[in-house]
Amino acid sequence: MTEIAPTSQFDLDRAWTVDPRVALRPESFGALAYHFGTRRLSFLKSRTLLCVVQQLGEHATGRDACRAAAVPDVELATYQAALARLAATGMICERDPR
Amino acid sequence: MLDHAVHTPPVTAAAQDSAAPERALPDPPNGQQPTLAEDQLLVEDDLLIEDVSIDGMCGVY
Amino acid sequence: MSPSAAIAEPGTRLVEQFQAGLDAPICLTWELTYACNLACVHCLSSSGRRDPRELSTAECLGVIDELELMQVFYVNIGGGEPTVRRDFWEIVDYATGHHVGVKFSTNGSRITAAVAQRLAASDYVDVQISLDGATPEVNDPVRGPGSYDTAIKAMRNLAEAGFRGFKLSVVMTRTNVDQLDAFKAIADNYQAQLRITRLRPSGRGADVWDELHPTAVQQRILYDWLVAHGEQVLTGDSFFHLAGYGEPLPGLNLCGAGRVVCLIDPIGDVYACPFAIHDAFLAGNVRQPGGFTAVWRESELFRSLRAPQTGGICHSCQHFDSCRGGCMAAKFFTGLPLDGPDPECVLGHGEAALARRDAGAMPRPGSDHSRVLPAKACDESPLTILPSGQPDPLIRIERLIEDGQRLV
Repeated sequence: MTEIAPTSQFDLDRAWTVDPRVALRPESFGALAYHFGTRRLSFLKSRTLLCVVQQLGEHATGRDACRAAAVPDVELATYQAALARLAATGMICERDPR
Repeated sequence: MLDHAVHTPPVTAAAQDSAAPERALPDPPNGQQPTLAEDQLLVEDDLLIEDVSIDGMCGVY
Repeated sequence: MSPSAAIAEPGTRLVEQFQAGLDAPICLTWELTYACNLACVHCLSSSGRRDPRELSTAECLGVIDELELMQVFYVNIGGGEPTVRRDFWEIVDYATGHHVGVKFSTNGSRITAAVAQRLAASDYVDVQISLDGATPEVNDPVRGPGSYDTAIKAMRNLAEAGFRGFKLSVVMTRTNVDQLDAFKAIADNYQAQLRITRLRPSGRGADVWDELHPTAVQQRILYDWLVAHGEQVLTGDSFFHLAGYGEPLPGLNLCGAGRVVCLIDPIGDVYACPFAIHDAFLAGNVRQPGGFTAVWRESELFRSLRAPQTGGICHSCQHFDSCRGGCMAAKFFTGLPLDGPDPECVLGHGEAALARRDAGAMPRPGSDHSRVLPAKACDESPLTILPSGQPDPLIRIERLIEDGQRLV
């Protein structure tokens, strides 16, 4: 069972990916993410955040994924907090950076 | 098939075990999880994420 | 993307997005059959007899194909007793093999040790065992003689097969509110998660609601207990009408009917929710051109449910934001107006409204698949026949207790 980690521990400079038990469904307002294991439903309130999440597995670091999704530098902290939340609820997880 | 969405094919128990130690189906929540009030504080800080349980909407069995 | 979907401003709450409806349900209830081996007195679908117009296996798989395309995350399969369908496993396996999770609701009669093993070994399938009393003395008058034992046996099989976290689902009634701790203990004993839900006056529930719905005092006990047990206990968000007692309970506090959830019934009729099986809440049928997708996205009923709701006379109440005027099915089947208070309004406005209504003009459940009792009425054992043509279920409860009679 996933523990809920404090949001301050999220490391943008590691490699992340969407957990294989998660279904992501784009919506006009962003996306819904459903985790089949935890039965948690998350509401992603931005299409940009969806872009970031979808690209996590393709980039060496979370920071790179944010850049690729055109997250403005000034908003990076907000996206980092959102990613931290997704990690804390098990929606995204660390992966081997290879 | 919507190819811009991440789809997860059902994972067999064996594959599941190698992917993650836990089973796919949920354990009952333990007492160490934050309360709903704490969750809501995090949500308000984030503004970009909001969580709810799939059992948390009325109109299903 | 539907024309009604707006781009959310940052900070728009999920609840507001959901009230406006989504292009696809998040999850939905799918009653596979009206056939059932039990005859629970409060059955929300008035089940018992199979309807000859049931969806075929091919039609069921076609529905799943649509749900997959729409990216519905989950179906809650029920009935009647869904496991009596011969194609039950084929349907479940097809769903989980096509990106649609399954939870099925069962009285447990077919959850053998072998079936439990099969369930424990498969991902994406969850099980919900129904039980309405922590003891047979409380349970069986509602669900039938032997039904308590059947449910417990199913739970034991699931626990022994290593299936952790299945659901024990209880409908709260006047006779079981004092068993809340006992229900929790049963769930804990079998490593299941307790789920408690609201009794609605739906289906056969309409006939027993006056006698079985919790009293105001019991509602308060229930609310306090839920607050104390937090997120350990699921509720299906079915108690948002109690939000006026204090802090809202965990959940969206939102009626999802026609907005994020709905019901598909055994003959393909699509209703706003499983508690609203009546023409007034019928959106269409999956056999129509365009199938379920067209019904979900284009039906008049669902359009009207997704339009902004004023809340009527409840709108000015301080609790309206979380109570939302309560449950439309509860109002409808007790003959109350939909723009007025819930019959169980915590401020007592519902009771007042019930006293004012014309109790003779109440809607009847939409479809009745109840089985007729096998016993014949006689001078010594008269059966009161209700206007629907069905025997009085309260007499049935008494007979069950007195005779130990088994409904077949």
